[in-house]
Amino acid sequence: MTACESAAAGGACGGARSAAGERLWDRWARWAQERGSRDAVVHWTAGEEPRRYTWSALVAAAAHEAAALAAAGVRQGDVCALVVRHHPRFYPLYMGISAIGAIPSVLAYPNARLHPDKFVQGLSGMARRSGLDWILTERALEATVRPLVAGDGSRARGLLFPLEWPAAEVGAPARAVDLPREVAATDPCLLQHSSGTTGLQKGVALSHRAVLEHVESYAAAIQLTDADRVVSWLPLYHDMGLIAGFHTPLAAGLSLVQLDPFEWVSAPVLLLEALSRERGTLTWLPNFAYNLMAERVHADEVQGLRLDGVRMFVNCSEPVRHESHGRFLERFAANGVRPQALAACYAMAELTFAATQTAPGRAAPTLVVDRAALSRGEVAPARDGAPSRICVSSGPPIPGCRVQIVGADGRELPPDRVGEIALRSPTMFEGYRNGPEESARVLVDGWYHSGDLGFLHEGECYVIGRQKDVIIVAGNNVYPEDVEDAVSAVPGVSPGRVVAFGVEDEEAGTEVVCVIAEADATDPEERKRLVLAIRRAGMAVDVTISRVHLAPPRWLIKSSSGKPSRKANKERIAREPLLQPSHDDTRRAS
Amino acid sequence: MITDELKRTILTELELDDFVLHPDTTASEVPGWDSLAHVRVVRAVERAFQVRFSTLEVLRLRNVGDLQVLVDRKRAR
Repeated sequence: MTACESAAAGGACGGARSAAGERLWDRWARWAQERGSRDAVVHWTAGEEPRRYTWSALVAAAAHEAAALAAAGVRQGDVCALVVRHHPRFYPLYMGISAIGAIPSVLAYPNARLHPDKFVQGLSGMARRSGLDWILTERALEATVRPLVAGDGSRARGLLFPLEWPAAEVGAPARAVDLPREVAATDPCLLQHSSGTTGLQKGVALSHRAVLEHVESYAAAIQLTDADRVVSWLPLYHDMGLIAGFHTPLAAGLSLVQLDPFEWVSAPVLLLEALSRERGTLTWLPNFAYNLMAERVHADEVQGLRLDGVRMFVNCSEPVRHESHGRFLERFAANGVRPQALAACYAMAELTFAATQTAPGRAAPTLVVDRAALSRGEVAPARDGAPSRICVSSGPPIPGCRVQIVGADGRELPPDRVGEIALRSPTMFEGYRNGPEESARVLVDGWYHSGDLGFLHEGECYVIGRQKDVIIVAGNNVYPEDVEDAVSAVPGVSPGRVVAFGVEDEEAGTEVVCVIAEADATDPEERKRLVLAIRRAGMAVDVTISRVHLAPPRWLIKSSSGKPSRKANKERIAREPLLQPSHDDTRRAS
Repeated sequence: MITDELKRTILTELELDDFVLHPDTTASEVPGWDSLAHVRVVRAVERAFQVRFSTLEVLRLRNVGDLQVLVDRKRAR
């Protein structure tokens, strides 16, 4: 295969060009015609032969699922929540939903830790706010989800178990699917949700045009060519997995090798094996993944693996740490990982996906700056002997996207000044689904205010932190409110006298969740039990609380609103460890 | 039956003071033993017992009892 000419000229791969009025299904059907015998999706499961769909087989299977969905009553415009585990029928199902003009929304399958009530609470919040018409799931969740469908005020019309339906016969002639002509390119083609467990999830609907145009811009930024092959372990309920990992290769007519996120996190070598065996060229990873692979893969497991064909490992969705790139490079240089393959991207579902991207063929630039100046909001070169910080660039804006740094007064700041990152792009969302207040808060005069802090330097965007208190654990957003509410309800904890915040864990390359809770208990055994109960309360909302500090009554510093301040108390606990340490106070220092 | 040695290894890695581990205890029931900690626990057990697990052996573990059986089998060799 050769690189398409436009890519060689620095433009997008020809395959990623969108025609006026084109919808996702039109594009996929075109690939089935033009590239029918090429791989579209390779579904990878450890210990098994991968299940390979060619473009013609995938589109035929999607047409089969579309007919079954229509027969089950799914109609154009219906929102279909997909809650299934890693399964080879996921892809044709997702595409089949699109083929009848309905709107897929991939949701996380609940893990065993999450309390079923919490899962239902989250789902019912989404059903209320986003209007989920159908829930497509596995039989194992029936008892949990059924009350939601029958419940008062729920719009959900039905529960479907499509993995039990007869599958398309291999090699059967494809049924013709004519996506209704009235489905416009400007209609929603998918609905994404932010993470969170207590009904705080915000829905972002994206149109066919937004996804196709975004893929076109992003393809130009990463110089996507027909020789590219994406390998991904990322969950598909997350924008990085869904847009970068799934929609980008499929809209561009390339192939995707999809691993099981649960298998990968238990056996991180799987990604490296898949990249080597399937000759992957592109993969997207949250920062913690670099550490996990560098630290937890045995030397003999990677013997003979070839990673020199990977032209970009794109670090995205949590702050990029220079240290993590260093560890990964040192560990896998012998397998062919090159410094110039270590790329970075700044992305969010509100923009469809990417805002900025480092240039292909060049390591993500770094800047060593003076830490004290940075905390004052200024970017200055590091001075000898003074504390410094290595900031990693997330690259310049992708074509069509604009980036501004704004100060507290809302005015644009010059380069090398730290402020909130505001963005504008043709593929930006128009607002959260049924969330006008949330939307008005973040969309100001056509600019999306990200809540992230950063600066521009020589045209590149450096993301250095957040204004919001959200904690990013292994690429997942954890809202401190969720944790505080859960911990507040633990008997023995003073209600409302709890703060949760993130603490950097350098070894893991991500943040961990830390809690300070006020309690009267003084007996050591009772305190131990309380610490355990607090950690269990976190588990029930699917949050691992790594550190628990029990504080005496009135220890927490309050903010002007009268509520305990996360920032002030995080600083206080770092400054003055509590005199009566709970077991967890002795955990490794951050 | 979970040996004290295995229990101690797991709890030390998870930085837990004490926690009752039965053969049918699953990771999701143990504080701190989330998907991200799993590979850490597995590597700690490998180090403590000087054994090596294959990817598939790790992926097939359902509970602490399975881990005990695997360790015992490897050590018997």
